[in-house]
Amino acid sequence: MSLTQDPPSPAPGGPGRAVPGRVAPPRPSRDSVTTIRPDGSRPYLHPAATQGRFTVARRVVALTLLVTYLALPWIQINGHPAVFLDVARLRFHLFGLTLAAQDLWLLFFVFTGVGFSLFFVTALFGRIWCGWACPQTVFLEHVYRPIERLIEGDAVARRALDAAPWSWRKFRRRALKQAIYVLLSAVFTHLFLAYFVSLPEVWAMVRHAPSEHWGAFVFMAGYTGLTYFIFSWFREQVCIVLCPYGRMQSVLTDEHTLAVGYDQGRGEPRGHGAGAGDCVDCGRCVQVCPTGIDIRQGLQLECVGCTACIDACDPVMAKLGRPRGLIRYDSLVGFGGGRTRWLRPRTGLYFVLLLAGAAVGTWALSTIRPASFGVTRMTGAPYLVDGGTVRNQFMVRVVNKRNAPARFRIELPGAPAGLRRTGLEEELEVAPLGEVVRPLVLQQERADYGGLFHLRVELRDAAGTFRLRREVEFLGPEVGTRQGEVRDGAR
Amino acid sequence: MTPLPPEKPEEDRIRPHVYDGIQEFDKRLPNWWLYTLYLTIVFWVGYWAYFEWFRAGPTSAEEVGAELARIEAARLAVAQVDDPTLWQMSRNPAITAAGRAVYDANCAACHLASLRGKAESPVAIGPDLTDNVWVYGGRPVEVHALITKGVLAKGMPTWGPVLGPRKISEVTAFLLSRHREGDPIVLQPPSTP
Repeated sequence: MSLTQDPPSPAPGGPGRAVPGRVAPPRPSRDSVTTIRPDGSRPYLHPAATQGRFTVARRVVALTLLVTYLALPWIQINGHPAVFLDVARLRFHLFGLTLAAQDLWLLFFVFTGVGFSLFFVTALFGRIWCGWACPQTVFLEHVYRPIERLIEGDAVARRALDAAPWSWRKFRRRALKQAIYVLLSAVFTHLFLAYFVSLPEVWAMVRHAPSEHWGAFVFMAGYTGLTYFIFSWFREQVCIVLCPYGRMQSVLTDEHTLAVGYDQGRGEPRGHGAGAGDCVDCGRCVQVCPTGIDIRQGLQLECVGCTACIDACDPVMAKLGRPRGLIRYDSLVGFGGGRTRWLRPRTGLYFVLLLAGAAVGTWALSTIRPASFGVTRMTGAPYLVDGGTVRNQFMVRVVNKRNAPARFRIELPGAPAGLRRTGLEEELEVAPLGEVVRPLVLQQERADYGGLFHLRVELRDAAGTFRLRREVEFLGPEVGTRQGEVRDGAR
Repeated sequence: MTPLPPEKPEEDRIRPHVYDGIQEFDKRLPNWWLYTLYLTIVFWVGYWAYFEWFRAGPTSAEEVGAELARIEAARLAVAQVDDPTLWQMSRNPAITAAGRAVYDANCAACHLASLRGKAESPVAIGPDLTDNVWVYGGRPVEVHALITKGVLAKGMPTWGPVLGPRKISEVTAFLLSRHREGDPIVLQPPSTP
């Protein structure tokens, strides 16, 4: 943990105002990242708490999401958890729908769907995902940071504790905080694992010695460690340095995109008295920023759109009897006095792509059946003439994608009269997740054969819930070359 | 927003390249970022010592080779069949029961569930497998090889890649269980249709 060693800010009246007995927070600059000092070390930020309408709204959203994340493995739909990506059996249960490894091509639509949704939402509202819904923000701002606030006090007290020499009091608070962090990280990691191996299995592993499942234990220990590291120390560095979505912002947004920003025209010049703008340079917006920037320096890479500075500024404006919204959600055009356009080629294009992807994805999902079925011609001659009959031989492959045994019938609807069939006359039972390959031999009297024809082969679920259809060609000797006697399929 | 000039221009080194009018500062990397590099160097030392210096464990290529050899050995163990082994298998009820299941699933379509084929029904496709008349040889290894390779001209499929050596041994054992060791073998050349 790095101790604050920033020199007191020389800017009088600036956000880093030096007060005797207080440790100044890092002073933001447009030319460098606040959380990386010139020597490469990392100042640990202590943003002040906010109160206000956005804080309340964000807390409601975050708690809803937290409950959802943590509850999904517990809710049973159709005998499986609501979200259960069963990697051991390669079955993926999503809200009652079960997908098998064969259906993984659908992931293309999941990824493009998520991608285009993010593009569309980003083009309209900027980094609304980052500030409101990203798990990194949700866990950091609504679980880990409140715990820190509870144990170590407000931002001023936390900075003072950071700077203080080690004492019994400091050790006690730090140890308590870190112990809770480790414990919470372990709980979250176990619930995260339950998305992949199911709760009963996680619980069984927890009760047995690590030596019985070293792989899972090492994974869990490592993942707990990573979670703990990210939320206890790494924090905003994820958003500033690691997150790829954050890096894409500059190509997804434009001057009509909503962002949290500062109304320069209204606020400047800062200060009191005649001729001064609305900003009194109180520095609240800087004190509350979780990434350590000064929003008044304009749209910046570090801003995750968390709205803390809005809730910091609005009460100040209210006290001064000025309208709120000196810092607000608006587009660059809006801050410049213009009107934000919502319908733009960019938003239209993203929306059309989103719709197209969603439509194709929905259609693709509707084609998913709990079995897969194939009919292929057997190796060897394409057809055989044996005595007075023409014979075609096929291999039928049936894969049961369900976790339960299934019974199927193979039928030939619309087959010509006199077509004799052997193989697969009886119901076919396929084990859970099993695969069966069976011969299907079709024969027709030579005299009845009138040239190539198409034939439907249907797989019917014995319960009558679905059918799958394939088409094959019935081949034979060329009609009209009788005396040439095509033998054994050799043309 | 109008860009503001750098706050302390004299302190900021600027790198020489310019792209689309954009220049970049020459700032120090975050220390934690550098530590990830140092960690990879530490890892490399251990890795190199383990695989190159002490050769303490098998390399990935050696692991793949060992696994392939194990698979091939297992495959050869069931592929190398001889007459006595197959006869012995034909007297093992567990093996012939497995062979019966393979037969019902794959062979009965042509040779009928009774194994009697054309001898039972004139419209059946395959020949009788219970008599002493054989078209392509009646020794156990010959039957085994015939099932594996098939007779393409007659429509007998190549079962080797479909069933695999173990199931073919089982189904051969099942067929032999309907015969006795020492029965005469009457060879009858393939008939023309």
